[in-house]
Amino acid sequence: MWTIPKPRYRTSSCGEPEITVNIGGVRVVLFRDVLNRYPESRLAELVNCSSAQNPELFSSLCDDFDPGRREFYFDRDPDAFKCIIDVYYFDEIHIKHGICPICFIKEMEFWKIDQSALDECCKSYLSEKEGELKEIASKVKVILEDMEVDQSATGTQRCQRFLWRLMEKPGSSFPARVVAIASFLSVLVSAVVMCVGTIPELQVTDAEGELVEHPTLEAIEMGCMLWFTAEYLLRLASSPNKLHFALSFMNIVDFMAIMPFYVVLSLTYLGTSSMMELGNVQQAVQALRIMRIARVFKLARHSSGLQTLTYALKKSLKELGLLLMYMGVGIFVFSALGYTMEQSHPETLFRSIPQSFWWAIITMTTVGYGDIYPKTTLGKCNAAVSFLCGVIAIALPIHPIINNFVVFYNKQQVLETAAKHEVELMELKSAGDERRKNSDKDDTYRE
Amino acid sequence: IMEKSLAEFNKAGSQSTSSLPPEPVDVVSSKSCFRRVRLNVGGLPHEVLWRTLDRLPRTRLGKLQDCSSHESLMEVCDDYNLDENEYFFDRHPGAFTSILNFYRTGKLHMMEEMCALSFSQELDYWGIDEIYLESCCQARYHQKKEQMNEELKREADNLKDREGEEFDNTCCAEKRKKLWDLLEKPSSSVAAKILAIISILFIVLSTIALSLNTLPELQGTDEFGQSTDNPQLAHVEAVCIAWFTMEYLLRFLSSPNKWKFFKGPLNVIDLLAILPYYVTIFLTESNKSVLQFQNVRRVVQIFRIMRILRILKLARHSTGLQSLGFTLRRSYNELGLLILFLAMGIMIFSSLVFFAEKDEEDTKFKSIPASFWWATITMTTVGYGDIYPKTLLGKIVGGLCCIAGVLVIALPIPIIVNNFSEFYKEQKRQEKALKRREALERAKRNGSIVSMNLKEAFARSAELMDVVVEKNDRPHDNHLSPSRWKWSPKRAVSETSSNRSFIVQDLGSENKGRNSSPQKLNVQKLEEMYNQMAKTQSQPNLNAKGSRVGKRRDEIELGTIQDHGPPMLGTTDGVGDMKSLSSIDSYISCATDFQENSRFPQSTATDLCHNESNRSSHNPAIALPQHSVAKTGQQSTRAPMLTPIIVPKPSCSENARRFLFSGNASKSLFSKGGCRNEKEPGPSPLSDSSILSDHSLLSPEVSVYTTASSRTPPKSPESTTLAPTVFTFHDSSISKYIDADTDDDEHLRDISDASPTDCLLSGSSPKRSININYQRAANHLEAAQKMLGQNCLFPREGICGVPHENHFGPEIGRRQKGERVRQNTLDKSH
Repeated sequence: MWTIPKPRYRTSSCGEPEITVNIGGVRVVLFRDVLNRYPESRLAELVNCSSAQNPELFSSLCDDFDPGRREFYFDRDPDAFKCIIDVYYFDEIHIKHGICPICFIKEMEFWKIDQSALDECCKSYLSEKEGELKEIASKVKVILEDMEVDQSATGTQRCQRFLWRLMEKPGSSFPARVVAIASFLSVLVSAVVMCVGTIPELQVTDAEGELVEHPTLEAIEMGCMLWFTAEYLLRLASSPNKLHFALSFMNIVDFMAIMPFYVVLSLTYLGTSSMMELGNVQQAVQALRIMRIARVFKLARHSSGLQTLTYALKKSLKELGLLLMYMGVGIFVFSALGYTMEQSHPETLFRSIPQSFWWAIITMTTVGYGDIYPKTTLGKCNAAVSFLCGVIAIALPIHPIINNFVVFYNKQQVLETAAKHEVELMELKSAGDERRKNSDKDDTYRE
Repeated sequence: IMEKSLAEFNKAGSQSTSSLPPEPVDVVSSKSCFRRVRLNVGGLPHEVLWRTLDRLPRTRLGKLQDCSSHESLMEVCDDYNLDENEYFFDRHPGAFTSILNFYRTGKLHMMEEMCALSFSQELDYWGIDEIYLESCCQARYHQKKEQMNEELKREADNLKDREGEEFDNTCCAEKRKKLWDLLEKPSSSVAAKILAIISILFIVLSTIALSLNTLPELQGTDEFGQSTDNPQLAHVEAVCIAWFTMEYLLRFLSSPNKWKFFKGPLNVIDLLAILPYYVTIFLTESNKSVLQFQNVRRVVQIFRIMRILRILKLARHSTGLQSLGFTLRRSYNELGLLILFLAMGIMIFSSLVFFAEKDEEDTKFKSIPASFWWATITMTTVGYGDIYPKTLLGKIVGGLCCIAGVLVIALPIPIIVNNFSEFYKEQKRQEKALKRREALERAKRNGSIVSMNLKEAFARSAELMDVVVEKNDRPHDNHLSPSRWKWSPKRAVSETSSNRSFIVQDLGSENKGRNSSPQKLNVQKLEEMYNQMAKTQSQPNLNAKGSRVGKRRDEIELGTIQDHGPPMLGTTDGVGDMKSLSSIDSYISCATDFQENSRFPQSTATDLCHNESNRSSHNPAIALPQHSVAKTGQQSTRAPMLTPIIVPKPSCSENARRFLFSGNASKSLFSKGGCRNEKEPGPSPLSDSSILSDHSLLSPEVSVYTTASSRTPPKSPESTTLAPTVFTFHDSSISKYIDADTDDDEHLRDISDASPTDCLLSGSSPKRSININYQRAANHLEAAQKMLGQNCLFPREGICGVPHENHFGPEIGRRQKGERVRQNTLDKSH
């Protein structure tokens, strides 16, 4: 307040130095000089116009004018105005606690004050809210796309749409839900089969005396693979944007789950037809069998929790890098230390630094298999220190990752409901608009 | 012509305020006169364009514009004043700000600190659907509302549980209830506490015995060469089991609801702790001959192991264990997530390590299921070391597995922890709430308060309340008149006195006539409601209520009959009594409102003055002393005839008002007129009569307050008067509750809305309520001094710093303008 010059002693060029405004029932007396600090703002314009004594101009700027009291009336929120008026005095605005920042920004727009006047401390809050709104908007978009009544003229398009919904939106209809459950079960079954198939007791010896998978398990595997393939192809066929579809994460996972099976099939065919050496084929098949594990990731399609996990991991890549870096540094330091300290012992288990990496990892993550352990006193001290450091190195970067996860997890549901309500609101508003149009028509008709 | 219509409109305004409903024409003309409208919501004034309100024509405010008659206006708003173009709503002002912004901007946002439930109630009142809430606030709103609903539901369940504990149907209910309390509520008595401790000791003893039993040194051998229980420990076991069985049976017998008892999780645990013992005995006895068979032995072993379940019996005695159980139950979603994460990790890493290690010599990773164990032990960072990878690839996989395990386990656990801490907090809060409720009930049983059980009201949802309020709306309508009184005619002073008095007389009789029947109706309805809602409420209070109404009517009649000597005076007195009886609460609340709200300083105090001045404006100022003396006589003679419940009522009001004006009376009784005169603009066309009325403005007040002081010792509140006042206030606070419940639906709603602590405070500790009232009174005093000080003692320039001042000046000016106008019209008509 000290910075305000006393306008009473200034002879202002345009008559009276004060202007009275009534904002939603709250009367405020303002000085012209102060208002002119922000010439673009609505109040400054008003001041300049009022000096021109042009009542028509007033009405464009304010909602009502009382000529008797020379009072300008604005039909706005007085609470927000009380905050906004601060800009003339202090050059910065703070949002009053309790006012929704989005609402406040609208008020600032009305008073034609730039958003940059908002102070940093309130900006972060605003941006947080805006981010939330954006997310809701994107969700609303998805919902609206789903709800869109297909007006596609051709039958193929309609068919495509129907298929897309059947495969991608389990909530849209009963058959879609059945499809989703079937696909979930097939993933589970194929994963179990893959695991069980490796048990030696359940394997059979083939003609060459080697253990191969049980024929029934093989048959089940085949059935699952066929289902996966059909699913993938149907999705691909029904997707509106093929390239986008092929490149999305979930579909890459799907593809990785299917592909090894067919490669193995073709390779064995090639092997039997002796176009290639048998040993090579065997190795390739072995490598590809590992890739079958990818089908476990297919579960992510059916679990929002897993999606949240991937999202959280994606968002906290930096922290993950930090974690790995801490671990890496720790492993190097402690394995080197352990190696040097254990050199004195004749029967040491630390034969080289790369070998003691393993020990460092197992110690720092507090797993402790006991296959390698220090035997000298110094080595044991080193192990204790490395264990402590490992705990800290893991715990510190994990916290932000967990935080990301928890926040996202909690926000998910809230945003979901918010998006639904937003859609309802939009429907309501559009209905209201139509009604208003109709009533307008009626009015004009009546007139 | 324009002037004339305006004058007519002004007259109409004054009519409305003298509680004769204005003509629809006036209402419409008032609306067409102003582009803006002033909305006073709970004391906070707002100004808004009619145009803005028209944007949502179906809401309450939108309907306000379409209202053209007095009745429809009163349906929409609680009070109105056409001259001031002001409409009053008795609602929460905080919520209204955001609601009015909805009209202005089309965007409904919610104040952050607002309780979602209360906001939704406000939205209901203003007729706005919650769906309009902007999405930025919607998320918060729904989250809070769901939380709130859940909480309310749980509370309702609790209440039902407690209600379910009625021991009325079968024999020896009294004894069973005692037994139940003894066994189930350790906090209820010392004996119960001791019993609980003994029970805990038995649990601990039996678990220790069970563990010791497996020590090979303590075991004996039976005829088959199998180890058996140590005989001493078997005795201990038998005693413990006997105790547990007895406890369970007693609980079962004393329980009010057998099936519910059987289903309760804690009782299931109890049963599981006892049963294995008996099953073991049964199996051993029946199969003595075949006991050597392995199968039977194995079954017996399993049942022996099940005995360890008795350690869970401790849960009955520890809220921590209970909340752990509840947390696990509530966060099964997150637990599922944790298990899913782990399962996926185990599957992936075990197959990876299998493929990496399977070609190694003498490998332990023989199959994927076999390496599941390794993956589990590694991911949970247990690391026994019975299986570990040996190849380089296997070690890399193992390292990744460790880190992934740490991550995956750490992620969902904070959510579970959060659930736990929330539940723990909630439980603590509930314990407090339980205590509060018990205190409330005790207070109710003592009869010191009459109020609805808020929780019950909530549990039955607000619908019942709404129905009752709506039912009562009509008959209460005339009872709103006192509140209309407070918007008293400001210009009636210049009307002819005879006319005026007739109107008042008519009104008085009308009020009396109307009062009797609907009041009775209300009492009946309210009684019904009370019977539904608060069973524990004591009967005498109801009786008191019933009798009270009758007595009050008597009193009114009494007053009018007694005062019939000078007719004009009599009528005013009657009306005054009416008012003092029925509108005391509104007076007090208004006065306090005004206290709390510095932005609206004008309304009540000055209205009050005008009201009073108006009532006796026809009296010559000189006659006032006698008048007051006469009144003193009447009042004091009447006082003993009233029942003790009624007495405090007027005394309460009069005390309040005495405080309000005692400062006034002592300080500025005679200087006021002059000061006001001084303050007015020099060439004011105000007639003498208005100045005179300003003089007389104070006098009836003085008289009334001297009456009051004749009964209760006068002078400042700091002096010894405190004790007697305290006493009367105590009673009055009770009767205030009764009164509020019986005769004023506004107050009914108030009570239902009021925070339970308020009711509790005023109920359980009368002292506190005294203090409140006393403070109010003191506030009155201060307020009066402030007001009067501003009004008259100091010149106007001296009080520029006071925030009231801003609002004050123009109001007075406007009123004077209005008076001037009327003066003109009177002149013209003459």
